[in-house]
Amino acid sequence: MSTKYLDIFLKEAEEHIGSLQTRLLVLEKEPGNGSLIHELLRNAHTLKGSARMLGFEDISVIAHRMEDFLKEMEDGERAVDSDSVDLLLQGTDAISRMISALEKGVDSPVDVERFIEAFDKGLSTSDAILQSPAAETEVMGDTVRASVKTLDSLVNLLGELIINKKRFEDKTLELKTLCKNSGGTVPAARIMEFQQALDEDVLYLGYVIQELHAEAMALRMLPLRTITDGFIRMVRDLSKSQGKEVDLEIRGEHIEVDRLLLESLKPMFLHMLTNAVDHGIELPEERLARGKPRKGTIRLSARHEGNSVLIEIRDDGSGMDPERIRQTALKRGVINKEEAEMLRDDEALYLTLRPGFSTSEIVTDISGRGVGMDVVKMSIEKVKGNLTLKSEVGVYSEIQLRLPPTLAVIDALMVTCSGEQYAIPLSYVQETIKIRVEDIATVAGKEIVSVRNSSVPLFSLATMLGFGEKGAIIAGGKVSAVILKQRDQTIACTIDKNNGTSEIVVKSLGGQLKKVRHTFGATIMGDGNPALILDVSDIFSSAEGASTAGLRKALQQSQVFVSRGKVLVVDDSITTRTMEKSILLSNGYEVTIAISAEDALEKVAENTFDLVISDVEMPGLNGFELTARLRQMDVYRNVPVIIVSSLAKDEHKRKAIEAGAQAYIVKGVFEQGTLLDTVESLIG
Amino acid sequence: MSENSGYDIRSILNEMREEYWQGLSEKVEVQDDLLECITFILGGETYAFETGYASEVIRVPKLIRVPGVQGLISGIFNLRGEIIAAMDIRSLLGIPLLPIDAAARIIVIKSESFTTGIIVESVRGVHPLPLEQFEAVVKSVDQSAREFLRGQINLDGEMTVLLDLKRLLASPSLIVDN
Repeated sequence: MSTKYLDIFLKEAEEHIGSLQTRLLVLEKEPGNGSLIHELLRNAHTLKGSARMLGFEDISVIAHRMEDFLKEMEDGERAVDSDSVDLLLQGTDAISRMISALEKGVDSPVDVERFIEAFDKGLSTSDAILQSPAAETEVMGDTVRASVKTLDSLVNLLGELIINKKRFEDKTLELKTLCKNSGGTVPAARIMEFQQALDEDVLYLGYVIQELHAEAMALRMLPLRTITDGFIRMVRDLSKSQGKEVDLEIRGEHIEVDRLLLESLKPMFLHMLTNAVDHGIELPEERLARGKPRKGTIRLSARHEGNSVLIEIRDDGSGMDPERIRQTALKRGVINKEEAEMLRDDEALYLTLRPGFSTSEIVTDISGRGVGMDVVKMSIEKVKGNLTLKSEVGVYSEIQLRLPPTLAVIDALMVTCSGEQYAIPLSYVQETIKIRVEDIATVAGKEIVSVRNSSVPLFSLATMLGFGEKGAIIAGGKVSAVILKQRDQTIACTIDKNNGTSEIVVKSLGGQLKKVRHTFGATIMGDGNPALILDVSDIFSSAEGASTAGLRKALQQSQVFVSRGKVLVVDDSITTRTMEKSILLSNGYEVTIAISAEDALEKVAENTFDLVISDVEMPGLNGFELTARLRQMDVYRNVPVIIVSSLAKDEHKRKAIEAGAQAYIVKGVFEQGTLLDTVESLIG
Repeated sequence: MSENSGYDIRSILNEMREEYWQGLSEKVEVQDDLLECITFILGGETYAFETGYASEVIRVPKLIRVPGVQGLISGIFNLRGEIIAAMDIRSLLGIPLLPIDAAARIIVIKSESFTTGIIVESVRGVHPLPLEQFEAVVKSVDQSAREFLRGQINLDGEMTVLLDLKRLLASPSLIVDN
């Protein structure tokens, strides 16, 4: 058979199955709706006909039975009630399973004879359907639908980029002629003019890129509807099986969320809805006795708030009882007695999110995994979202999820570690600190630091990532660390350098690097090189039981083996040069001494220094002359020079600058801080 | 149409057709014989694989090390917005690790499931290699390396080893999933 016909049939069948589902659920609420029955009849009929046409006898037989059944309903021979709707839904399911088997080219999971037998008796047909071992949550295809309008706009913006490129080309040409014609001296006004024009181009380019980025990002978004469609049915079946009556209201289905996010949201929603039916909504009699309507309501609503998407799942059931939660948490050893007493009621609700706490005694098969709310909470954090709980006993409980609008762009802290740059999602970063040796204590051999009055274990990020034992760069007896938080845990990780925060675009590592421990993707930096994005939850799990940073010892020894730069100190006074040497040495610099300018010139010839500190008045050449000489040497043209002198007049300072020195320190106000600050500001 | 005449259009046409088919099949044979390959240097030796696998050759950019991933994958780089792993397959093939210098290149390869880059010491060029003249790889080469080699050829006294890129790309050792 031509696959073309099969494709058409599959598509058509899916549509009919979809409308059968929806219409049957409506029919249950409006049993008197005759035209609805008629439409259902048409669905079943068409399905039967098309299946027969292509020789799918099994499908056709079941559709036929459903058609007959509906006909009897239409003729008033059969009651339109929840049981008969149930049966028809089972028929729809069976066909749906057969269609998807066809699509995958596998054997039909439905035993048609047994199915029809059960169907005719009005019994559960589940025995006739082979349960697939893993009803995997379907992964959304990796294609997107885009409206022609969106594509047009993208093409349009790309066109703008091309025009912009042309403008830049014109500019380079202009610059070329400018250089050629002016014979080396371009008037400042001309340069200014050129620079202003260039600025304009850059600004315009920025706008176009921003717009293009937004448009492209929008392509990643899908409405919430994509995943909520099956929920009404799920809640209906589940509550029915428990003898409960529940309506699921869904609001804001049109709200668009990043497709990746949607994929991870679906199992969470299923879990929370199952919880609401299982533990929230009471049995009808109980509800009536409490003066509530017989039927419970679960409301799933989504809306935009600020820059994030807010999703609430609220049920008007029995609510969450803080006292019961405390007791359960105590019983399960999640908390101890003191903690239980200290917790406020609203705080107690969050105990349900702790690992090991699950009020569900039975593992439900709807969520399929029997997981607790801790997993939901963790998943939400994984996507950089936030979860809040609200409840009033006997009235309602509400779970509120705050989600970022997209996963593709996140705020991150950029850090250097082991020579590479890494991005840490900002939602995991509490703060960055500088640690001195005296800040570090040990507990059972593990190093800890005190951050805001609480003890935080200290690790070396480089070691955790497996980049050897080489510790973080110890600058001036201090080391930088970033404090990471995940739920109620915090750890400190030493880094080489903190490079500030930045908005980054998240990229996958491609098909070859499927999952690299400690990372979840990469971003591309301004220089075009990639930087890995760290997976903080992996880091937390590595931190458990890992050896700590071993920094205390390293910090104590830091003077010995860490060099922050080579400094040449030129002074004829032994006191001054010894003092300078010891300050610099103890802060991690390598120091060489010269006792005169002539001595210094010899030393610079055989060694490369990063910085020169010189006195002014010395026998032979003075400090200004030395500086001027250095400036004439290729290697030392740009090496910073600091003049340290007892001459405090402005005239001398001016002379120093003229000679090419970068800084001038007066010996009278000479103190450790000034010298060190100046050195650090010049060579880090 | 069966009268005898010195000018038999049908036989002439037949002849022409014969000639045409012959010419065509000869051409096909010649094409079959030669394998267009990109040749490059690894460990000082010449290696090759079919040009069809290579999508482009680039200079070695800055490679960003990937934590916990050692050996084969030297690091990642950015190729026009796509993050790609650069592989040093020399260790996989038991080839000496000569220094990577300015002549080194990355051959970018698009396989079905991923894009990757192979670091080579230098690229020699694109050459048609006569497939028939290839001989089996000498047995003294380790089995683990031989798996990825299709054969060797001696062209004007110079050996070229043909890589089995299909097998190499299918090797699970290329994938990181931990």
